[in-house]
Amino acid sequence: MKLKLNTPLGRKIFGRTIRAFSISFWVMVIAFALMRVTPGDPASARLGAGAEEEAIEALREQLGLNVNPFQQFINYIRDLSQGDLGTSLVSGLPVGEIISKTFPLTLTYIAFSFFFAFLISIPIGVLIGWSNKASWVYSFRTFTSVVIATPNFFIAMVAILFFSVQRDWAPVFGYEPGFPGNMKYLWLPIAINTLILVSIISRVLLASVIDTRSEEFVETGIIRGVSRIRFFWFYILKPSLAPTIVLMSYMAGTMLGATVILETIFSLPGIGRELVGAVLASDYPVVQGILIFFGVITVFLSFFGDLFAYLLDRRVKL
Amino acid sequence: MIKRIRDYAALPGGFGIIVGVSMFLSITVIGFARPIFIPYAPDELVGDGLAAPSWQHPFGLDQLGRDMLSRVLAAVPADIGVAFLGVSIPLFIGTLIGILLAFAKNKVFLSLVGSIIDGINAFPLLIIAIAMVTFLGPGLFNVVIILALMNWARYARIARTRAQIVLRENYVEAARLMGYPRRKIIFKHVTPNVSSETLAYALSDFILVIVIISGLSFLGLGARPPAAEWGSMIADGRVFLGEAWWITVFPGLALCWSAISISLIVEGLSRRDRAS
Amino acid sequence: MLATIQDLRIDVRVTRRIRLRIVDTASLTIQKGQLLGLIGESGSGKTMLCRALVGTLNRRGAYIESGSIDFEGIDLVKAKKKDWRNIRGHKIGYIPQSALAGPNPVMRIGAQLAEAINQSGKKPSDEVRRRALELLELVQIRRPEVVLKQYPYELSGGMKQRVMIACAIAQNPKLIVADEPTTGLDVTVQAEIMELLRSIRKEFDTSIILVSHDLQLINSVCDDIVVMHAGATIEKVPSSKVTAALHPYTHALYDSRIDLVEPRGKLRTIKGQPPSVGKWPTGCRFADRCDFVKDVCRTTDPTPFAQVNENQWSACIRHKEIYGGAK
Repeated sequence: MKLKLNTPLGRKIFGRTIRAFSISFWVMVIAFALMRVTPGDPASARLGAGAEEEAIEALREQLGLNVNPFQQFINYIRDLSQGDLGTSLVSGLPVGEIISKTFPLTLTYIAFSFFFAFLISIPIGVLIGWSNKASWVYSFRTFTSVVIATPNFFIAMVAILFFSVQRDWAPVFGYEPGFPGNMKYLWLPIAINTLILVSIISRVLLASVIDTRSEEFVETGIIRGVSRIRFFWFYILKPSLAPTIVLMSYMAGTMLGATVILETIFSLPGIGRELVGAVLASDYPVVQGILIFFGVITVFLSFFGDLFAYLLDRRVKL
Repeated sequence: MIKRIRDYAALPGGFGIIVGVSMFLSITVIGFARPIFIPYAPDELVGDGLAAPSWQHPFGLDQLGRDMLSRVLAAVPADIGVAFLGVSIPLFIGTLIGILLAFAKNKVFLSLVGSIIDGINAFPLLIIAIAMVTFLGPGLFNVVIILALMNWARYARIARTRAQIVLRENYVEAARLMGYPRRKIIFKHVTPNVSSETLAYALSDFILVIVIISGLSFLGLGARPPAAEWGSMIADGRVFLGEAWWITVFPGLALCWSAISISLIVEGLSRRDRAS
Repeated sequence: MLATIQDLRIDVRVTRRIRLRIVDTASLTIQKGQLLGLIGESGSGKTMLCRALVGTLNRRGAYIESGSIDFEGIDLVKAKKKDWRNIRGHKIGYIPQSALAGPNPVMRIGAQLAEAINQSGKKPSDEVRRRALELLELVQIRRPEVVLKQYPYELSGGMKQRVMIACAIAQNPKLIVADEPTTGLDVTVQAEIMELLRSIRKEFDTSIILVSHDLQLINSVCDDIVVMHAGATIEKVPSSKVTAALHPYTHALYDSRIDLVEPRGKLRTIKGQPPSVGKWPTGCRFADRCDFVKDVCRTTDPTPFAQVNENQWSACIRHKEIYGGAK
């Protein structure tokens, strides 16, 4: 599709793009501010109470804290615009490299979870929503609200208890890279994530299918005698999908947050475990880098989610 | 009294609300009244480590030999209490800022605060809370500070949107044209409307905040040992999952109990809303 | 006679056991090429009657309890899913209530028209396109080639309703059911849509059932008027003779028109509320609001919907007494 800026569609998309970039900028500003505004000196905190004055001063210089805050901000933005997220205080590796090494694993199992979740949620949401039987709808809603209210780490612990401790179906923790081998370690985290995602997605889909069901245009579709497949797509799923996608892109950030805990439980060397490790080691540049990364990713996920939903259904506000 | 409860339960969603409220009240009351009927202190060593549940210790003993029932109940103030603070402070600040924003005229100020709100909301709450622990250090008190600093933005966004809608309503417009003082409009029309919306969000946010508090503690970034907290107890039990499941399962069930009680209330309220 | 509805009763399932009667004895006939107005307050069952004609009661948990709908010799009450496929669109077209929500928001106008034109899915695409353009011109849409590629949100309310009319007449049906087709439209647009419906009737000799709560509108457009009150048809009268109606409710409706208000005069309203569904009194359901009520009105149940003269029916048992017989 050719995108022209002078059409209403083009202008809308352009405006939304500008907004995504401006929010990303503010994400960086906030990540910068958090480290400076909070009480205490990062350098002395990292080195501990007994550190020598010179060592602290050296670290301050390494962190770029020895100049005035305004200059710090200029330097920070300059480095970021060159793609430089800083260097780890622990390993000495560039933060960008750490992210690019750890993120693919996280992405892999999140992508698998979303894939399976949609595969399961669509039939469930549509069937229960279309039937609109009060008893089904409410028992389903109660079940999903229980799953959503349960912290994922507790679900994970119970799953480990059943699948790893009582039966030897999944290793308790550990990881080995490479395709079929890694699935041995990944299937349980994927299954847990999928269960939680299914609860969220099918719930929203269910609600919007129920809304769609009572729409006037569905009536005209039935009267028009549309074939079953066309009816399923154009009159049930497509009009109901947009709110689900918008919510998913909005929830994606929360999902990313939840993976931090799962990765720690299953000892998966993903970006979430990296973050927790960095926090425990007071590795400021890594924490800040991953924070920015998560923030920007969330901004663009919600951008693409909104955009996709808008292209699917023009009733969506962009 | 009983009749009134029964009548309420018959309304759409009423049953769920009553079950939810009683679940929540029961765990809160029992938790805060723990010293009255549990003879063991939460950090008192009362027997061999990892002793299984028995009549004397229904929830068993943990790895150090502390009574799990006492610890699970002692964690109520830590989890529910902190969650209460972590929701009510942002609720108050956010609603206030949101309303003020709806009235503000200064373009620069508006776009600045608006951008900060959007920027903060861009971060997943758990992620930014974890990152903030680096700067502030672990501890439940710091968790409250983190939530107060980061969670208000979500409330502010909801409040601003709602307040703008209310201000456009005809009756408010009319009150303005009749020259009612601004303060009167804010207190009589805007605040009740906006706060009912933010309160509704606060209820579902409560679940998220409990999960964040226990999640941070689970990662070792929240409550510090030996404080009793469900998330950190679950983390303690992880190593002993094979031989002593009770260390993990009971705090987890307490966590679920509290979160589910709130979600039943949320569910019931939304069902009631839809019915009317 | 194109269609005859006889003593129709429609129930809705509220819960597994509780049933609510929403239409109780509705009878009407429609002739070929006739424009019939169906009028009633909200809750009078007029929309359900329309749904019975297009076979979509089921969707809202409603069903026909008794009675018959004869359409060209077919009993629609007993029609199976397969039979409906040949009736809907081909023989009975439908124009939905709300112009704004009528067209499918996630499909282009062209695709929706194509569905209506090509129900069997066997026509070649260029023929479908030609017919679509023809239909859009017929409903007086300018630049039909552009509109074909547009989504409903790009059209105005009036345009949307024109498209819905185009869909309804795509298969040249014998009967069109238009359920309050001008709700939410400007008065000028409303007049245009009505004019369009009339011209379609004239050109194709289509019968149209036009549902509305606006007596004035119905009166100016339709040949005959059927009045519904609390689930029952209570009067059928030619629109030219509406002032000589034989049911107090019709008179009350007619008298509460806004244009009758004199400057600084008082707007006349019908006293009380229509009885709510499920709480219908025995006897005449208008009794509580009627100026002429007598005890006999409340005891005669059911009130018969009887033919008074050649083209007038009334359900008022005392119409002779009140109006002195047919004028």
